Amino acid sequence: MSHSHSTSGHVQRLTPLDKTGLGDIGASLQLGLGILGAGCLALGLLIGLNGWMGVSEDFFWRSYLVSFCFVLAISLGGLFFVFVQHLTRAGWSVVVRRPAELLASNLRWIWALWIIPFGWLWFRGKAGLLWPWADPATMKNNNIAEWHLIEKKIGYFSLFGLFDGDFFWARAIAYFAIWAFLAHVFLNRSLRLGATGDRNNIAFMQKFAAPAAILFALSVTFASFDWIMSLSPAWFSTMFGVYFFCGCATAGFAGLILLCVRLQSVGALTHAITTEHYQDMGKLLFAFGMVFWAYIGFSQYMLIWYANVPEETTWFLARQVGGWGPFSLVLLFGHFIIPFIGFISRWPKRMPLVLSLGAIWMLAFAWLDLYWLIMPRIPHDLTQFERFSEAFAEFSDTSTHFFTPINFILLAGMVGLFGFCTLRSCRAYPLVCERDPRLGESLHFENM
Amino acid sequence: MTSLPANTRIVDNTSEQPGDRAPLVLNMERFGQVTTTVCRVNEMKGAPLAWYVAFAASLGLLGLLGFCVLYLIFTGVGVWGLNNPVMWAFDITNFVFWVGIGHAGTLISAILFLFRQKWRTGINRFAEAMTIFAVICAGLFPGIHVGRVWFAYWLFPIPNQMEMWPQFRSPLLWDVFAVSTYFTVSLLFWYTGLVPDLATLRDRAKGRIQQIGYGLFALGWRGSNRHWHRYERAYLILAALSTPLVLSVHSVVSFDFATSQLPGWHTTIFPPYFVAGAIFSGFAMVVTLAVPAREMFGLKDIITLRHLDNMNKIILVTGTMVGYAYSMEFFIAWYSGAMYEKFAFLNRAFGQYWWAYLLMVSCNVITPQLFWFKAIRTSIPLMFVLSLVVNIGMWFERYVIIVSSLANDFLPSSWDKYVPTWVDVGTMLGAFGLFFTLFLLFCRFLPMIAMAEVKAIMPAADPHAGAHADHGHGGKDGH
Repeated sequence: MSHSHSTSGHVQRLTPLDKTGLGDIGASLQLGLGILGAGCLALGLLIGLNGWMGVSEDFFWRSYLVSFCFVLAISLGGLFFVFVQHLTRAGWSVVVRRPAELLASNLRWIWALWIIPFGWLWFRGKAGLLWPWADPATMKNNNIAEWHLIEKKIGYFSLFGLFDGDFFWARAIAYFAIWAFLAHVFLNRSLRLGATGDRNNIAFMQKFAAPAAILFALSVTFASFDWIMSLSPAWFSTMFGVYFFCGCATAGFAGLILLCVRLQSVGALTHAITTEHYQDMGKLLFAFGMVFWAYIGFSQYMLIWYANVPEETTWFLARQVGGWGPFSLVLLFGHFIIPFIGFISRWPKRMPLVLSLGAIWMLAFAWLDLYWLIMPRIPHDLTQFERFSEAFAEFSDTSTHFFTPINFILLAGMVGLFGFCTLRSCRAYPLVCERDPRLGESLHFENM
Repeated sequence: MTSLPANTRIVDNTSEQPGDRAPLVLNMERFGQVTTTVCRVNEMKGAPLAWYVAFAASLGLLGLLGFCVLYLIFTGVGVWGLNNPVMWAFDITNFVFWVGIGHAGTLISAILFLFRQKWRTGINRFAEAMTIFAVICAGLFPGIHVGRVWFAYWLFPIPNQMEMWPQFRSPLLWDVFAVSTYFTVSLLFWYTGLVPDLATLRDRAKGRIQQIGYGLFALGWRGSNRHWHRYERAYLILAALSTPLVLSVHSVVSFDFATSQLPGWHTTIFPPYFVAGAIFSGFAMVVTLAVPAREMFGLKDIITLRHLDNMNKIILVTGTMVGYAYSMEFFIAWYSGAMYEKFAFLNRAFGQYWWAYLLMVSCNVITPQLFWFKAIRTSIPLMFVLSLVVNIGMWFERYVIIVSSLANDFLPSSWDKYVPTWVDVGTMLGAFGLFFTLFLLFCRFLPMIAMAEVKAIMPAADPHAGAHADHGHGGKDGH
C-alpha cells in the first residue's frame, strides 16, 4: 500500500501511558519482584552451597544454569523478534515492538547472573562440578571409555594456558558483549526515533538487522554448545544450536504475549494492541514454539536413534532411563502435541486470555525443556552395557529430582529479578514506538 | 496495452521510504491492463523467436534424455560409472537437486502467502509450475536407477500375491510417500490457483479449440461471489497443507543419507540444512527463469525489479544459512573428536574431490555474499550470472556429499574413485531438457502470472482507494 498515514488518526489510539511509560504504576509490584528475586536467589545460594535439604553442590549449579538459561532465552527471543521485524520491514508489529525491545534490553545486565556466580565457582576451583571438562584429571578417571574423544577438544575450552576454561570464558564474555550491544542499539535507536522523529534511525536499524542476525545466530549457537552441550563433553550434535534457538523463540514469543497482556491490564497500549496483533503473535508462538521445536527435536532424536552410534545415543539414553523416560514424554506432549492441538485454530489465538494461558504453558515447557537438556547426568559407564535393556534395568531408579524445592526457588529468583528489571524499563520508557513511520500501518492492521 | 508516456514510465521500484509501500505493479492502473499484458503471451499468433530457439534446444536435450534412458534400460545400470563403494552418484545427485529446485515454488505459494508477502503474486504461478516440472524430473531418477525399470512399481506398497513389500523402515520408501504427496498437493494448489485465470482465457478466446480447451479446465468458473468465497477457502487450506511440505519433503530426502552411519552423511543438522539449501537453489532457478521470461514476454511491469531484488535477498539469506550448516558440520566434526568424522570432512576439502568442494563452497557461500550490495541485487546481468552460479554450486553440493563420503569410507582398502560416463552426463543434461521443455510449453499455453491475485494487490483493489485516500486507513493487509 502506498498510502501515507495521517498522524491525527494515531493520536486517538495512544493513551498517555503509551507515550510516557508506566511511571508510578507498578512501583510496588516492581519492589515486590525485586525482593522476591533477590531473596530467592540468596536463599538458593545458601541452600546449594551449604548442602541443606540434601541438595548437592553439582545439582545446585546445574539447576542454577537451567533457570539462568530460561530468563536468558526470554531475552534472546525478544531480541530475535525485534531484528526480524526490521529485517522484513514488517508493518503489523510496530505496536508490540517496544515491549519486545524491553524484553531484549535485559541482555544489558543479564551477564552479571552468569559472570559473578560462575566466576566465583572458578575462583574456588570447583568448575568441574558443573562442566566436567574443567577438571580434566577427574574427567579422565570417570570417563575412561570416552576420554579419547574428550581429550582432543580440551583446547576448545582451555587454549591460552591461563587456567582451565580460559578460552571458554573469553567466548562467554564475547557472547554477552554481542547480546548487550545488539539489544542496546535496537532499543536506543528506537527511543531516539520516538524522541526526535528522525527517520534515519529506522533506516539504520533496517540495515543493522542483517549483520545483527548473523552475530545472533553464531553467538547463540556457540553459547549453547559451550554452556549446555559441553555438560556431556563427549556428546555432539550439529543441530544443537538450532534446538536451543527454538527454545529462545518459544520463551521470547510467549514472554512477549504475556508482557503485552500485562501492560494492557494496567491501562497501557489498550487501543494500540488489538486482537489482530495477538493472533499474529500467537501464530509465531505456534510456528516456532510448537511446530519448529518439534521438527528440530524429532530430527535430532530420530537420526541419532536410527543410526544408533554409541557415542551419540548415550545422551538420549541418559534422558530415557528411570524417571527421565516419563519426563521426556511429558515434554513431547506438553511442548508439542497438546498445545499444537489447542492452538491450531484461529479463535484461541484471538482471545487474549486463552492465548496468555497458552503462553504461560509454553513458558513452563520452555523451562522444562532446559531442565531436560541440562539436568541429566550421563552415568559414566553406559558403554559397559551390551543392550539398552540392561542399562534401563540398571538405572531404573534414576530420579529427575524435578520437585526438589531448589529448582523452584532458583526459578523464582531469576524470574523475580527478570520481572523487576523488565518492569523498571516499562516504567521508564515509552511503551510504543512513537513516530515510527509504520505505526499507522500497525495500528490499523487487520488479519485477513 | 495503454501505456503512459515513455518519460514517466517507472522502472525501478526497489526503494521505498519507511512508512510507504512501494508499488508492486508498475505503469498500470486498471485491472484490464494486467489481463491484456498477461494474456497477450498466450494469445499472440506466433511466439517470439527466442522462444522457438529455446524450445528447439530443450527438445534436443529431451531427446538426449530419452536416448540415455533407453540405452540404460536396454543395457543395464553398468552403463553408469558406479562402482563399489560408490554405488550412488549422479542418479541420486540429480534426484536431490531437482527435488530441491521445486521448493521455491512451494515456499512462495504457501509460506510467503501465510506471511502476507504481497509481492509473491507476481511470481507464484510460474514458480509453482517450476515446482511441478522439477518434481517430475526428480521422480524420473529413482524410477530409472532401480535397475529393472519394469519393476519400478514395487517402490509403492501395492498388495500382491507374492507378499512382496518394500522396507517400511527405509527412508527411501518414506521418500516415495513424501515426494508423491508433494507432487499431488503442489499440483492441486497450482491448478486451484489457475482456475479463475483459465476462465479469463476462455472468455477472451477467439478460436473454438481454445474455448473448449480453456473452458474444460476452467470448470465452469463464473466469478460469482460464491465461487470466490469457496476459492479463497480452498486456497488458504491448500497453503496450510503445503507449509509442512516445504519442510518435510527435503527433510525426508536428507534422511536418505543422515540415517546411515557414514561420516559426512550422518549429522543431525541435515534436515533443516537440506531445506535451506533447497529453497536457496529453488530461488536461484526462479531468478534464472524469471529474468529471460519477463524480457521475452514483456512482463517487466508485473515481475518488477523489486521482485527480483526480494528474491536475491532470499538467496542471500538461505545461502548464508547453508554456509552456517557447512560450518557447523566442520566444527562438530572437529569437536566430536571422532576419527572418521574428522577424516570425512578433511577429505571433502582436501581429498580427491577437493575441486568439487571448492566449487561448492565458492558458489554457495562466497559468491552469494555479493548480494549484500544493492547494485548487484538489482543488476539484471549480474543476478542472472549469480543465479546460474548458485544452480551449479547446489548441484555440486549434493555431488560432494554423496560421492566424497562413499568413495573414501571407513576402510582404505575399499576406497575407489568415481568417474561419470557419458550416459551419466547425458542423463543429467537431458533432465534439464525435460524441465525446460515443460516450462516453455507452460509459458506459451497457460497464464504465467496469477492475474486474479496480482489484481488484488493493486491500489485499485482497495475499497478505500480514491475517495478516502487520505483517510489514514492502511487497508486490509490480507494476502
